[in-house]
Amino acid sequence: MSGTYSGGVTSETAHEPRSLPVRATSSGVRVTWWYTASAIMFFELVLVLTWAATVRAGGFEPLPAWAVLIGGLVWFGSTVPLILSYRHRTGEPTAVQWRIIVLPLLMAIGFGVFAFTVTGLWLLLVVPLAQTLQLLDWPRSVRLRMVLAVTALLVCLWIVDAHAVDDGALEISNGYFPVGFLSAGLPVMTVLSLWWWDVLIALDRARVSEARLAATQERLSVATDVHDLQGHHLQVIALQLELTERLLRADPDAALEQLKAARISVDEARQGTRDLATRFRSVPLRDELANARDLLRAAGIEAETVLGPDVDRAPASVFGPVIRETTTNVLRHSGGKHTTLRLNRSGELWRYEITNDADAAAPTIAGREGTGLDGLARRAEEVGGTLEIVRGEGNFTVVVTVPVQ
Amino acid sequence: MIRVLIADDEGMIRSALAALLRLEGDIDVIAECSDGVQAVAEAERLLPDVCLLDLEMPGLDGVEVAEHLRRTVATRFVIVTRHARPGVLRRALAAGVSGFLPKSREAGEVAAVIRQVAAGGRYIDPEIAADALSDERCPLTNRELDVLRLGQHGETTAQIARSLNLAPGTVRNHISLVLTKLSVDTRQQAVIMARERGWI
Repeated sequence: MSGTYSGGVTSETAHEPRSLPVRATSSGVRVTWWYTASAIMFFELVLVLTWAATVRAGGFEPLPAWAVLIGGLVWFGSTVPLILSYRHRTGEPTAVQWRIIVLPLLMAIGFGVFAFTVTGLWLLLVVPLAQTLQLLDWPRSVRLRMVLAVTALLVCLWIVDAHAVDDGALEISNGYFPVGFLSAGLPVMTVLSLWWWDVLIALDRARVSEARLAATQERLSVATDVHDLQGHHLQVIALQLELTERLLRADPDAALEQLKAARISVDEARQGTRDLATRFRSVPLRDELANARDLLRAAGIEAETVLGPDVDRAPASVFGPVIRETTTNVLRHSGGKHTTLRLNRSGELWRYEITNDADAAAPTIAGREGTGLDGLARRAEEVGGTLEIVRGEGNFTVVVTVPVQ
Repeated sequence: MIRVLIADDEGMIRSALAALLRLEGDIDVIAECSDGVQAVAEAERLLPDVCLLDLEMPGLDGVEVAEHLRRTVATRFVIVTRHARPGVLRRALAAGVSGFLPKSREAGEVAAVIRQVAAGGRYIDPEIAADALSDERCPLTNRELDVLRLGQHGETTAQIARSLNLAPGTVRNHISLVLTKLSVDTRQQAVIMARERGWI
C-alpha cells in the first residue's frame, strides 16, 4: 500500500507530515540555525589555530604548539554539543542539567590550565572557560552582565600578556594583536550570535501567535453569531410550544400543526449552527484526499491515492464536494474491496477519478446517492466540466473533469 | 424483530429515543444503559442484534464499547454523537462500527439506519463524512505521536524513553520537534492539542 512512482505521478504513504502553516517557514529557520551555529564553531576553530600558530611563531618548540593545537581541538569538540543543544532551549528557567554541562566545563578548565602551563599566556588560561560559560543556558540579563564582565577581564589579561611580550618575558614578538583581539572578542561575538538566534525564534513564535490570535478572534465572532442565531430560534420555538399548549384542548389539529412547525424550527436552528461552524473549514485537496484514503482504509477497504504534481492548484470548490460525496458513497456501499482515487491534470483538463470494485448491482446507487451525484454533475457543468459514471464489469467509476482556468 | 441495545448517559434522550424506536413495528429495544461499562455487560448477557451507542459516555466511550464487544459478541454497532471530533470516524471504522450518525437525526431515520445495519449494510452520515474529510492533517510522525501518547499523563522523559526503548536524548529531540511543528511551548500544550484534534 505504500508509495509507488510512475511518470511524474506520485502516490503517497500515510502520515506524511504537512499542512500546519508553521511548516512553511520551518526550513528557513533551520537554515538560519545552522548558519548561526557554524559561525560560532568556525570562530572557535580559527581561534584555536591562531593560538597554535602564535605559540609556534613565538619561539616555542614544536611540541607545545602541537599540544595547544590538539588540546584546543579537544576543547572545541567539547563545546559543540553545548552549541547544538542551544537550538532547542525554551528560554524558560529549567533545572541545570549537570550531566550535560560538567564535562565541557572540566574540559575548558583543564585545557586552560594546560595551555597556561605550556605558554604562560593568561588569555589562554581564561578564554576556554569564558567561552564555554557563554554557551550555557543563562537568563538573558545574566548573560549580558557576564559577557561584559568577561570581556573586561579578557581585555585586562590581554594587556598583561602584551606587557609580558614587550618585556621579553615571552618570546612572542609579532602577531600578538590578532590573537588578543580574537580571544577577547570571541565571547562577545558568541553572545551576539546566540542573541540573534533568540530574536529570530521570538519573531517566529510571534508570527505563529498572531495567526492563532486571528483564528481565536474569528472563533469569538462565530460564537457571537451562534448566540444570536440560537437566541432567535429558541424564542420562536418557545412561542410555538406555548401556542400548542393553548390550542391542545380546543383545536388538536392546529396544535399538531404548531408542533410540526416547532420541529422545523429546531431543524433550522441546527442547520444554521452547523453552517456557521463549517463556514471557515477548508483543507487543501491533497489533505482531503489523504483523509479519504485513511477513512477507507479504516473501513477495511484497500485504498490508494494517485496525485499529479500540481494538485494544489486544482479548483477546490468543485473537487472538494466531489471527493466528499464519492468517498461517502464508497463507504456506504461497503461491497468494495479496493478503491483508487486519482486527481491530476491532463492537458487543459483537471481530472478526478474514483474507481471502486463494488458490485455494480449495489443496492443503494439509486435514491439519495443518485441525487447527490446529480447535484455534483450540475456543479461541474456550471464551470464547464463534466461528470461521467462508468459501470463496468464488477467496478464502478466516477470521472469528473473541469477545464483548467 | 431487530433486538436493539441503547447506551446513552443522557437519560432524557435515551428514554425518548427508546420510546420512539419501540413505536417502529420491527424494532425491539431490549436494554437501556447509562454508561459504556454497563453497555458491555448487558450486550454480553443479552446478545442484541444492534448496539446503538452514544459516543460521549463516562467510563468507556461508544467506540471503546465497540472495540470491547466486537471480539466477544456477534452484534453490529451504530454510533450516535452530538459533535464528531476529528479522527473519531476513522477510529470508529477501524473498530468495526457499521453506522455513524449525528444525534440530530430524527427517530425514523435512526430506525432506517438500524434496519440497514442489521441487514449487513453500512451507513455513514454525509455530514460526518464531510467533516472527517476536512480534518486538518496530522503533521507528526508515528514515533512523535508515540512519545506524546506515552507522556500524556505527565510521565517523565526517562519513563517515556524506557517504554519506547529509546535514549532519553532521542525522546527529548522528538519532543522538541513536536513543539516546533505544533508551535507550542510545553509538552502539555502539545498533548492537549493532539487530543483535541483526535491524533492521540
